[in-house]
Amino acid sequence: MRLLLVEDDLMIGESVQQGLRQDGFTVDWVRDGQSAEAAWRATRFDLMLLDLGLPRKDGLAVLKSLRQIHNALPVLVMTARDAVSDRVAGLDAGADDYLVKPFDLDELAARVRALLRRGSGRADPVISHGKLVLNPATRVATFAGAPLALSPREFALLEALLDRPGAVLSRAQLEERIYGWGQEVESNAVEVHIHALRKKLGAEFIRNVRGVGYKV
Amino acid sequence: MTSLRHKLLAWLLAVVLIAGMAAAWGVYRQARVELDEVFDYHLRQMALSVRDRSFDGLLVEPETLTGEFDFVIQVWGRDGVRLYFSQPHAALPGLVRLGYDTVQAGSTTWRVFAIQERGFTIQVAQPMGIRNRLAANSALGTLSPFLLLLPLLGLLVWFTVGRELRPLETVARAVSQRSATALDPLPTGPLPDEVRPLVSALNDLLVRLGRVLAAQRDFVADAAHELRTPLAALTLQIQLAERAVSDAERVAAFTVVKSGLARATRVVEQLLTLARQSPDAAERAPLPVDLVELARRVVAERLPLADAKFIDLGVSGAEQLTVMGDAEGLRILLANLIDNALRYAPQQGRVDVCIRRADDGAVLEVVDNGPGIPVAERERVFDRFYRRVDNEIPGSGLGLAIVRDIAERHRASVALEDAPGGRGLAVRVRFPLA
Repeated sequence: MRLLLVEDDLMIGESVQQGLRQDGFTVDWVRDGQSAEAAWRATRFDLMLLDLGLPRKDGLAVLKSLRQIHNALPVLVMTARDAVSDRVAGLDAGADDYLVKPFDLDELAARVRALLRRGSGRADPVISHGKLVLNPATRVATFAGAPLALSPREFALLEALLDRPGAVLSRAQLEERIYGWGQEVESNAVEVHIHALRKKLGAEFIRNVRGVGYKV
Repeated sequence: MTSLRHKLLAWLLAVVLIAGMAAAWGVYRQARVELDEVFDYHLRQMALSVRDRSFDGLLVEPETLTGEFDFVIQVWGRDGVRLYFSQPHAALPGLVRLGYDTVQAGSTTWRVFAIQERGFTIQVAQPMGIRNRLAANSALGTLSPFLLLLPLLGLLVWFTVGRELRPLETVARAVSQRSATALDPLPTGPLPDEVRPLVSALNDLLVRLGRVLAAQRDFVADAAHELRTPLAALTLQIQLAERAVSDAERVAAFTVVKSGLARATRVVEQLLTLARQSPDAAERAPLPVDLVELARRVVAERLPLADAKFIDLGVSGAEQLTVMGDAEGLRILLANLIDNALRYAPQQGRVDVCIRRADDGAVLEVVDNGPGIPVAERERVFDRFYRRVDNEIPGSGLGLAIVRDIAERHRASVALEDAPGGRGLAVRVRFPLA
């Protein structure tokens, strides 16, 4: 799952990025409102973490312009403004959730997962498909009841494919979901991960639509 | 006695009483003069009328002449033997001389008039007490309306003053009943002209108080908000440290935690500094401070910081330059400027503190060769908690706000300019001459 982190504070940004990466998310980080707008126009994200006190363009303004173009990207606002009126203004401007600083990393990750789940129309926190069960919170996967060892990238790849079962995702789309900006992507990285997953799950689990991409 | 009502009443009554007494005294004096004229004339007329009668008839009591005015007629013969006196007074004045005279006989003062006719001496006398009593009666007649008026006037003053002062009581009640935070203006309603300035002055004060309180509230809110950011960073950093699985990761994580703590500490320290620079600091009497000596001291303190980044830090300019001010405030100002310069100057950079005399005062300059500040932002960086876009250097956002506060207290101006040579920032503080 690829997240856009918009946070101007260096220390908070670094920590949130590092923490969420440890939880298996792909996190891209920008430090002002204008860069945030440029980022969501260029890349498909699954969720945006938005600070409100931003330089160049205020967080609420960023949120409003996002909703104006009917972009339904889930947005979690994280801010030091904790007055009820601030929360109401944030939610009314189109935020899906509101987290007041200082917050707990685990709570942040749990809220992110809840928002992603809601975004894909699932109520169950656990993703299952056939004999495969993925738990995004614990990063534990089982196949036919037996524990399945997956690398973080393999887990992210499966999560992306299972987000919308039946949909075909291109290699570029998959790359986008599992690699952040500035991360080295080998030209055949996706193929390598798919190959490894097929070995673990059986060749038929992930299907290749030639010239288009992959689906489950 | 501080009650306006009591004071007014007492003074008014006293003045009325004194005026009444003065009037009565005047009337008394005037009445006495007139009575003297009238009664003296009477005395003379009576004496003349007695002269014209046969003395035989004098043996008959002349009722009409005596009576209430207490006239006494005496007649002496040629041989000085008293032939007649009209009233058996205990002590009658003896014969003194002809014409008018005032004589003392026993305890009574008499006014007498005497003439001589055919060897007889005729003297008519009247006790002075009569005249005094009559004059006193007139005076009392004058005084009595004053005396009657006195209680009436008192009541009138009491009630009028009470009624006129009632708005003041209303104001007093309004003030005493309001809560400490209610700063809306007092009602000015139908106030007497004398009270209105007091109420409007109070309202002015309330407005000013309101402004100060609002500024304080904003500051506290800002401060709490700004403390939240370093605390949020710390919370996250500590959680990451907890998650560390290897020693190397843990060491790295704790290094980050320490920098987060240092930052939170700095924000708190700067907030305290700012709070200490607030109004009461302005009360301190200015003392002569040698800027050069102060700069040398602050630079010496900051040398370890400079050395850590291999920055060439030094003082140049005048050998001695004194301004009037608060030494502690000026030290904080210098320390903030030098800290900023050290923070933004690159490794192996250069920071110069220069103090020189100018035509209109003293100039303190801190110049670094860091990235500088774009012209458009040079005003905003003085705002509390303002942090520049893409600023990688952690700071409290309060340093320059503190510098400006201190400079303003010293009637000094602070300007941000390009460093000579184009790269870097020059902060110029201009002090008026001591």
